[in-house]
Amino acid sequence: MTDWQNSPAAEDYTVDELMIAVLADQFRNGDQCCNGMASFIPVAAFMLARLTHAPDLVWLPSSGGLESRPDRIPASTLEAPLWRDSIMYIEQYSDFWNFVLNGRWIKKFCVGAAQLDQFGNANNSVIGDDYHAPRVRLPGTAGLADMGSIGKKLYYWNPNHSPRSMVEKVDFVSAAGYLNGGDARERLGLQGGPQLVVSNLAVMDFHPTSKRMQLRSTHPDVSIGQVTEATGFELQMPESAVPETRPPTQKQVRLIRETIDPDNMRKREFHRKS
Amino acid sequence: MQEKLTTLAEAIALVDDGNVVALQNMATQAAPMALVRELIRQEKRELGLVVLVGGMAVDWLAAAGVINRLIGAAVSMEQFGLCQQYRKAVEAGRIRVEELSETLLNARLGAGARNLPFLPSRGAIGSDLIAQNPENLKMLDDPFGGFPVVACRALIPDVALIHAHRADRYGNIQYEPTVLWPDIGIMPKAAKCVIVTAEEIVDTEVMRRHPDRTILPGFMVDALVEVPFGAHPTSFFPNYGYDSRFHREWTDVSRDDEAVSAFLDRHVLTPSTQEEYLDAAGGVATLSRIEKWEKRG
Repeated sequence: MTDWQNSPAAEDYTVDELMIAVLADQFRNGDQCCNGMASFIPVAAFMLARLTHAPDLVWLPSSGGLESRPDRIPASTLEAPLWRDSIMYIEQYSDFWNFVLNGRWIKKFCVGAAQLDQFGNANNSVIGDDYHAPRVRLPGTAGLADMGSIGKKLYYWNPNHSPRSMVEKVDFVSAAGYLNGGDARERLGLQGGPQLVVSNLAVMDFHPTSKRMQLRSTHPDVSIGQVTEATGFELQMPESAVPETRPPTQKQVRLIRETIDPDNMRKREFHRKS
Repeated sequence: MQEKLTTLAEAIALVDDGNVVALQNMATQAAPMALVRELIRQEKRELGLVVLVGGMAVDWLAAAGVINRLIGAAVSMEQFGLCQQYRKAVEAGRIRVEELSETLLNARLGAGARNLPFLPSRGAIGSDLIAQNPENLKMLDDPFGGFPVVACRALIPDVALIHAHRADRYGNIQYEPTVLWPDIGIMPKAAKCVIVTAEEIVDTEVMRRHPDRTILPGFMVDALVEVPFGAHPTSFFPNYGYDSRFHREWTDVSRDDEAVSAFLDRHVLTPSTQEEYLDAAGGVATLSRIEKWEKRG
């Protein structure tokens, strides 16, 4: 046991720090990870994993540098100085996709979406029924549509779990999840897919056969009722009792606050009114 | 070698109303902003814009009524938020969006560059991007017996707009090593006409010392203009960072059409030279601030 594991559970922590610890746990030595725009929570999770259980987790900051050494999370996760002291600059954007489309590397992707539905389909494109005159034009899918259909395991983070962000059916499928559920994904020849949704209230995964989103754990001091009320569809319940999400350790919290993100960039996406 | 050096006005005169214009850009990075301002000054209309991830340039072109369609993967100024003028124009139906994932756009441009009818991709299968765009994307059976792929129809922009670190007067273009070369690997090779601004014009002998840094040969380039700080307010690694203050000044006004009009008047229409533009953006104080970007956090 190393010191971060021996470190007792933190009492003083915030939900962003808990989410970072949960996501960090999904990435291991031997994995490669990359990040896109405004990805403070994924970046903090990668940095935490590298400082604790996965020192050999390979990271491509901004999906373009390799193994850089930023001294903290800067205001942009897409720009220098995040790629400070990289070993290699990877040409964007064709060469980056050569690494990703090849099935050997970068098998996991951690990302956010404006809407997620009960089958893990994601929407970052439009809110509203009319694609050509939407109620809200969102930024667009960028690389997420690709990540959704090329065999990657997707880890979604949602800082504002609500019926608006967790919907029965997305207004537009920007990236495939399990489509209509069951074996719909496999029938199209798609492997991988969403594994986990880590929100500010709970951790969710997907039922092995129906592929409906199900509750895996609730965060400390959050009731199951609070989670189901904040979810715009019928969240599946596991057969056994729903455990509490393990809080971060004191050491993890200290690393996040003092080393990884002293400027509190990780707080930026929380409680935003849209 | 043919001389390619010209003025912003003459370079942008190569763009006709209705053209499809490919723009180098990545959120807050590396946009050829002097060329974008000249498109607005010359009151171009009904342009289609091709961009991987557009930022303030897209917002300005939307606000000025220059573009009526966009082909791209995302539009966002990252930490500075959504492009509100673009968003409003799309929501009102004034700009039609052909949203593509990154690999679909790359395949469309790759097919354009290689004179192919299409290139396939495995990206975006199962998403609504494909059903939404039957003119340019079609599912295709693998002739070798595997699972279907997406056929991405060739995209040949009329013009590509690029900003680079260095060039000689014959249009040989050099780029400093950097993480992101937003879209310039394939975009200019797909386009019928390439317009470049460069931070500095140097003697060809200087270029010969570092041929490994030359990314575009002079024969590909149709017009070249020297524009120091030509990507401001976006960043241009390693020379300068994005101008946070300028981005905030824009986002402070970008929901209000009258204030937008005053902003564009002050920063786009009134300055007649790059010096006047940079002065309006804060002059030497601004430039020395953005040059220090590597020292930040």
